[in-house]
Amino acid sequence: MKRKSMLWLFAMILVLSAFLAACGGDKASDDKSGDSKGDGKATETEDSGPQQGGTLTYALDAVPEGLFSFAFYGIATDAEIIDFFDEGLIKYDENLEPIPNYAEWETEDNQHFTFKFKEGVKWHNGEELTVNDWVFALETLASPDYDGPRYANVETVEGAPEFREGKADSISGLKVIDDYTIEVTFDAPRLNNLTNLWTYPMPAKEFEGIEVKDMSGSDAVRKNPVGVGPFKVEKIVPGESVELVKNEDYWNGDVNLDKIIVRIIDNSATVGALQNGEVDMVAIQPVSGPEVEKLDNVEIVTAPGLSYYYVGFKLGKFDNKQQKIVEENPKYQDVKLRQAMAHAINRQEWIDAFFFGYGKPINKPVPSAHWISADDSEVTGYDYDPEKAKKLLDEAGYKDVDGDGFREDPKGEKFSVKFSHYATGNPTFESRATALTQYWEEVGLKSELEMVEVNLYYDMIEKDDPSIETFFGGWSTGADPDPTPTWASDQIWNYPRYNNPEADELLKKALSVEEIGDDKDKRKQVYAEWQKIVTDDVPMIFIAELDELYAVSDKVGGFTVDVAGTNNPSEWYKKEGK
Amino acid sequence: MVKYVLRRLLGMIPMLFLVSVVVFFLAKAMPGDSLRGEIDPTNTNPEYIAEMQEKLGYNDPVYVQYWNWVTSFVQGDFGKSTRYKMPVSDLLLEKIPNTVFLALTALIITYILAFAMGMYSGRKPYTIGDNLIAGFNYTGLAIPSFVAGVFAVYFFAFKLHWFPFAGSVDIEVQNGTIDYWMSRIHHVMLPAFILGLFSTASYTQFLRNDLIENSRKDFVRTARAKGTPIGKIYNVHILRNSIIPLVTFLGFDIASLMSGAVITEKIFSYPGIGLLFLDSVNNRDYPTVMAITMMLSALVLVGNLIADILYGVVDPRIRLG
Repeated sequence: MKRKSMLWLFAMILVLSAFLAACGGDKASDDKSGDSKGDGKATETEDSGPQQGGTLTYALDAVPEGLFSFAFYGIATDAEIIDFFDEGLIKYDENLEPIPNYAEWETEDNQHFTFKFKEGVKWHNGEELTVNDWVFALETLASPDYDGPRYANVETVEGAPEFREGKADSISGLKVIDDYTIEVTFDAPRLNNLTNLWTYPMPAKEFEGIEVKDMSGSDAVRKNPVGVGPFKVEKIVPGESVELVKNEDYWNGDVNLDKIIVRIIDNSATVGALQNGEVDMVAIQPVSGPEVEKLDNVEIVTAPGLSYYYVGFKLGKFDNKQQKIVEENPKYQDVKLRQAMAHAINRQEWIDAFFFGYGKPINKPVPSAHWISADDSEVTGYDYDPEKAKKLLDEAGYKDVDGDGFREDPKGEKFSVKFSHYATGNPTFESRATALTQYWEEVGLKSELEMVEVNLYYDMIEKDDPSIETFFGGWSTGADPDPTPTWASDQIWNYPRYNNPEADELLKKALSVEEIGDDKDKRKQVYAEWQKIVTDDVPMIFIAELDELYAVSDKVGGFTVDVAGTNNPSEWYKKEGK
Repeated sequence: MVKYVLRRLLGMIPMLFLVSVVVFFLAKAMPGDSLRGEIDPTNTNPEYIAEMQEKLGYNDPVYVQYWNWVTSFVQGDFGKSTRYKMPVSDLLLEKIPNTVFLALTALIITYILAFAMGMYSGRKPYTIGDNLIAGFNYTGLAIPSFVAGVFAVYFFAFKLHWFPFAGSVDIEVQNGTIDYWMSRIHHVMLPAFILGLFSTASYTQFLRNDLIENSRKDFVRTARAKGTPIGKIYNVHILRNSIIPLVTFLGFDIASLMSGAVITEKIFSYPGIGLLFLDSVNNRDYPTVMAITMMLSALVLVGNLIADILYGVVDPRIRLG
């Protein structure tokens, strides 16, 4: 009896291992078909133009909060859904220049703007969109009870602060001429007044009788959101899926698809769902790239992203009350040390290893897709050059005097680079951070790495915690090119505490209406000068800019994406017979 | 009996109070708050964060925050979720049915499988069938549910197309129709099986061992000597005794299924309490975290109470005192 059961156990193990081996074999065959992907793509080109009808399944890998309104949403996941059913007055072209959507504007002095709305644009509830809906939105944002983060987009309109403090019943800078015309006056002429302004109307009728403080929890936001976009929200299963149907009355041409189903799926299921055709489109992380590339029925569409990764040096301390940098940290003040550390990093190798090539080294504090981005020839680049790094360190006096293989500081004391990186559940973070410290060790700088829990991490950086010396971070830029919030010396988000009056001066100059006016080339020139100064000073080592990745099924046509985002979903279509 | 239940219920109050203190202070000790995390300079400004921190009371000392929370909690006001910006009670009501549905299905699957397999193994121990079942069970016990879940998605959803890989219902079917419920059941089967896998394994083994043990007892020999059919001996005499340990599990299961659902719901993107809980912890949504923790703690305590009461019902020899 005993022996028999042992036999069975053994048999079970065998069966199980055969099972596992089968999985492994499957992966291998996937690999093979991935290689022949090139020819496969070439043959399936009988694309006879846009077709009507069909359902597209769009996946999200994070759970939306359910705040389906431009005015209230907090996370990008919700915005992805809102983009299907609502639009703003203006949109941005591939150079991130504002262009009219359903409203045109005129201005002579960058302070007074006249907006003219298109007639006949209808909300999904049948009401016509008028300037009053926009005024309603702006007044909601400026209300003291508003619990979203967007007051800053109204603040610069004349009279908004008074309205918020309750001193006025309406915002004095908004003057309604008729249902389709409105004059907006800002408190000062600025070049970025328009890009900073809130341009998303709210359906006033839907929110009738709802107090501002209750709006974010109301059904008009959570259950029956209404917009003017190409699709209408038909049904929402909270935290799981959203059904959107074609808007027959769409103001901007015909909508090809009948339906878009937005599904929330777990990261681990993305590749399988794409392969099975259960998901037609999903924005993916570079990490999933190699696996998705192997699928024959899915293509990866990339667009240049607007974010960049950097390694920052804490150069000083910021006093939040005085809004200025009050102290200098001595450790990394020597610019040659910072330059050497920049030259030591092989960015291309690092990007290939951790982002699978979906990105490229960046040489300046502005993503290269942005129109103010300076040409690489105009800034000081720091290519991988360990010899130069060593030379710079020698020149700066960082030499190995005690023969332990690592350099000491100019005074002959032990020197060690302390590098911090945020930690989440992502296991690649620690290895990519370790890789950076190894580059420094190769040029003789002793380095130690500290992984800090992500929530605590940014708090520590913001408060200039002394344990943060050099740190990994990322910033993203919006349509408004002004880098002031993350770079001026009086801003809390200037994390390196970079303090160069000359650079601050240029940032101010670029925004000044008197000096620059509407001259874009001139403005770009000023920003290029600024970028040159920043790259000379290296308050941070610019590491990489990453692509935005979309995995798109071969059943989907009409999809394009550029730096300003995807094209209008009304142009997407499902290919016949697929 | 009534006195006993009342005494137990009263005893829960200090327990829950202690749980709330510990969880609240631990939650607050987590670095960051609901306004932190990834900062996006394009749509957040420091004044907004400072203002919201003041509004949400994050600047008060922790004990003041606790006092504020606990006073409104006992009055039935669970607060407003900082992430979803809606009352936590509404949020829970939205998710609880999903989780209860999942847990109940898991329980039913567990019972059916465990009874069938346990009875078989217990009656025919050390046979090929018993060993196969034991092999299956030990595999179930050994594989953590997050691994089993991912494998199940891969095989049953992607390879065999038997079940959907995510969600709780197909959005395109009309609410309330037969199709709707079929779709719900179709969606819940796979996660429920994974969720019940662990308890199925332990139930089966317990039942089996108990059956074997009981079948060697004197009363079984007596019954046999009397000439009672063997089937009746198992189904009536032995099973009744062997169910006792299982019944105790039922009480614990109510809580463990609810909390075990955290991982399973995440893998299957099943929108229930578990997924909400994970999300709330990651986003420092304190009111939601607290409400769910309190609910789960209360469930554990109530589950234990139910187990104790059921003991008495199944086996009158056990008196409640």
